[in-house]
Amino acid sequence: MTSKRLIRVRAWAWLALVLAIAVHVAWLLLGNRLQLDTDVLAMLPQDERQPAVQQATRALADAAARRVVVLVGGADWTGARRGADAYAAELKKSAAPVALRYEVGDEAAGQFLDFYRAYRAQLLTPAQRRQLETQPPAALAQQAVEQLYRPVGVPRIGSFAEDPLNLFGGWLGERAADSKVRVTEGRLSVIDAGGKAYAVLLLELQNSGFSMAAQQALVPVLERAREAALATVPGLAVLNAGIPLHAAAAASQAEREIHTIGLGSLAGIVVLTLFAFNAIRPRLLVTLSICIGLLAAVSVSSLLFGKLHMITLVFGASLVGVAENYGSNYFSSRAGRPFGERFAMLAEQAPVMWLAMLTTAIGYALLALTPFPGLRQIAVFSVVGLLAAFVTTLWWFPVLDAGEMPFTRFSRWLGSRRALWPALGRNRFTLAGALLLGALLLAGAARLHADDDIRSLQNSPPALIAQQRAVGALMDMASPAQFYLVRGDTEEQVLQREEALKAAVAQAGGQAQAVSDWLPSQAQQRRDAALIGRADAAVLAAARTLLDEPLAVPAPHEFKALLPADWLAAPASEPLRHQWLGRFGDAGYASVVMLRGVTDLAALPRFAAVELTGVRWVDKVGEVSAVMARTRALMAWVIVVSYALVFAALSWRFGHRAWRALAPTLIASALALALPALAGQPLQLFNVLALLLILGMGVDYGIFMLEQPARDAIRPFLSVSLAAASTLLAFGLLALSATPALRAFGLTMLLGIGFAWALTPFFMKDKHANRTD
Amino acid sequence: MRRRAILLLAAVLGFNGPAWAATDLAAAIKQRLVEAPVLRGEFEQSKQVQGFAKPLVSRGSFVVARERGVLWLTKTPFASQLRLTRDEIVATQNGAVAFRLDAGKEPAVRVINGLMFSLLNGDLGGLAELFKLDGTADAGKGWQLSLTPRQSALARLMSSIELSGDSYVRSIRIDEANGDRTVIRFSGQSSEPTKLSAEEAGRFDQ
Repeated sequence: MTSKRLIRVRAWAWLALVLAIAVHVAWLLLGNRLQLDTDVLAMLPQDERQPAVQQATRALADAAARRVVVLVGGADWTGARRGADAYAAELKKSAAPVALRYEVGDEAAGQFLDFYRAYRAQLLTPAQRRQLETQPPAALAQQAVEQLYRPVGVPRIGSFAEDPLNLFGGWLGERAADSKVRVTEGRLSVIDAGGKAYAVLLLELQNSGFSMAAQQALVPVLERAREAALATVPGLAVLNAGIPLHAAAAASQAEREIHTIGLGSLAGIVVLTLFAFNAIRPRLLVTLSICIGLLAAVSVSSLLFGKLHMITLVFGASLVGVAENYGSNYFSSRAGRPFGERFAMLAEQAPVMWLAMLTTAIGYALLALTPFPGLRQIAVFSVVGLLAAFVTTLWWFPVLDAGEMPFTRFSRWLGSRRALWPALGRNRFTLAGALLLGALLLAGAARLHADDDIRSLQNSPPALIAQQRAVGALMDMASPAQFYLVRGDTEEQVLQREEALKAAVAQAGGQAQAVSDWLPSQAQQRRDAALIGRADAAVLAAARTLLDEPLAVPAPHEFKALLPADWLAAPASEPLRHQWLGRFGDAGYASVVMLRGVTDLAALPRFAAVELTGVRWVDKVGEVSAVMARTRALMAWVIVVSYALVFAALSWRFGHRAWRALAPTLIASALALALPALAGQPLQLFNVLALLLILGMGVDYGIFMLEQPARDAIRPFLSVSLAAASTLLAFGLLALSATPALRAFGLTMLLGIGFAWALTPFFMKDKHANRTD
Repeated sequence: MRRRAILLLAAVLGFNGPAWAATDLAAAIKQRLVEAPVLRGEFEQSKQVQGFAKPLVSRGSFVVARERGVLWLTKTPFASQLRLTRDEIVATQNGAVAFRLDAGKEPAVRVINGLMFSLLNGDLGGLAELFKLDGTADAGKGWQLSLTPRQSALARLMSSIELSGDSYVRSIRIDEANGDRTVIRFSGQSSEPTKLSAEEAGRFDQ
């Protein structure tokens, strides 16, 4: 009776704990208190994380994540304009939460001019500066006069005497050339190299729109607007670009796959359970155990870490899936026994289940020893989840279970298939198998190569990528993926450092896009003002003789420094304002300098090599790829050490037979690496993660079967087959996914679990019917 | 026709306008004009600049080649060359480049060059995109045309352009918004030979 009491107390205690966990998670979720980190770089150790870089990347990324660019192109401007007008009208009618920039008043241009006019004699382009520094006044005067006679040239603001070399006009011209966008008939426009005209519509999702749902909601709105444009002027080219569109495409695809793959796998698992046990209860209980595992994992991890990483949720949830094995083992062991014997059965099975759980937990816990906080979080998450699911199986299943559960025809059939496997031994069959296996693994190893470039995970529809490229080329947009972060104690210092950086970038053959193009440092402004003052006086004197004109000396230009505050307040700063980060971090100021027109990724190392005080090269894509590579390498080591520890644990129970439980999983994992490698698939973090899962699951198969290796034992093989089938349905079907990361993971699982299941019976020897030798 | 008149502040503008159906006037003028693959002639440009006592007078020759672009060769008061092609505007003086504007950097270059071409050729279709056209065609061969900018951005730079001619454009007067005025008179225009000479082609190829 004491044991009955113990069972009741344990069940109630666990209920109390589960309720507490449920309340905690509900509190987290309902109050939006669960903080999710989506930045992969947050996986890095603290000292490598560089909060400044993260802050800068986020500022840029947040801005970019709201913007969509639409180009409407026609054979002539009129067509493009009419189409774009219809597009804009349809967009307005939709009342979608987007701000549209398309029609602009002519006064914008005037404002821009008026703002800079006050500073005209202190602004120079690098080429002008070189010209004034190197050429003698006589040559400059010649040019000034030639310009005057020329029928075509840069418009001059002000009189000849004020600016004989038209330096201000040239400076404005270069600023204008920073952007390809022009105003035509009061609308933003761009002309391509072939002279084709495009109307430019800039869309920005509003505050409420910064969510997956809003991004997805935008897609049909844009589609209707596109149709409206095409209905007005057939044959128009409508090009879309912007992160929200890629995000929406990815989300839609994930949804589609959840509907097909997800429902397919759920249906498969339910049908399997019904056939095996003639009841739905086993499936409900197994699901319950995994749910409790996940709740506990979320609760404990968020208590320990404050916030959860997105990757922890995804990876951790998969790892907790191993708990499937315990439920499957429970019900398989119970099948065909009287209901009343379930406690005795469980007492007998418990040591094996503990061993199965521990061997899995070992691998997961090892992740915690790596220096990556991201992996530590995954370790805690998955170990807690696994433990909670395990406890649920052990303490609740016999209590919540009810009714007799005889073998069904299917379960008896499935379990008895075990007899079909011959045991390995000193025979030709074993030798041939070993040779074939060896050849496969060697060939696979020769072709195994890793690829951690996250660009290879790019998954947008080709049409969308093509449009993104076309828009990028037409608008000559700077890429937000790589940039320089420039920091300084004062705004002036930031601008001066930008200027030094721009010179270095030009030296490296690149073109920088910086705030200091539009807002030079005060030091630069003063130097330029002095240079202009000297040159203008000399040129004017020489031009007087050349032209034989008594040109009056204009009033001297009064120097008034153009300051960041003035610039930021002016509409003229709008195009570059997002690159000015202003007060930044604990102290000082910062800005972002971007690169324009980098089409060749091979050129990036040249720019990465630029080293200056206060300047940091940030390559988000490169850094994320590097994090993936390091995580992959660390995980690989964790798996190697796990195998050693699992082997030790198995030896403790099974003695010199232990290798029989481990070898099938090891071979299955090796095959799961070798076969995709033979097909040319690169090795990624997701494959390695799957290997850890395969170890956790596959060893359980070995343990359950080695426990009762008799060829005529039905329950072990039934348990293992049901667990493997469920896992294949849950994870293996991901191999059908169109998302590269999921596909890589799913394929490895499919091969690894499939082989582990298929190989395990070969390694069991019927003679060892007893627990120990 | 001249500098400020044509090359506009790039940030501000870009022209590209509706190619509206030729009006009766345009049709009448078009009929009188000689259309040729290559047009050559002499010019005398007189530019009155604010703050200058005397007008700036220059003389020289020009070539308009349909396939290549425009050459503007000033001979006095000093020699210089201006070349407008599809992709760039290049001014050279004493063999050295004094000014260059690339269409890749400044898309307005194509429009400017198109405008220059239209003005020299009297191509009203091209001009109607940017200007409101008004004028008369007399009983003989003569005609006058006055152009007013359609877009305010352009109007900020020039108030009007007057053209007159017969089978060729004979004079252009440009009034800029700031009060500067340029008058160009053309003479000796000819559409023969219809091919560029080696020397002319060389100037385009440089």
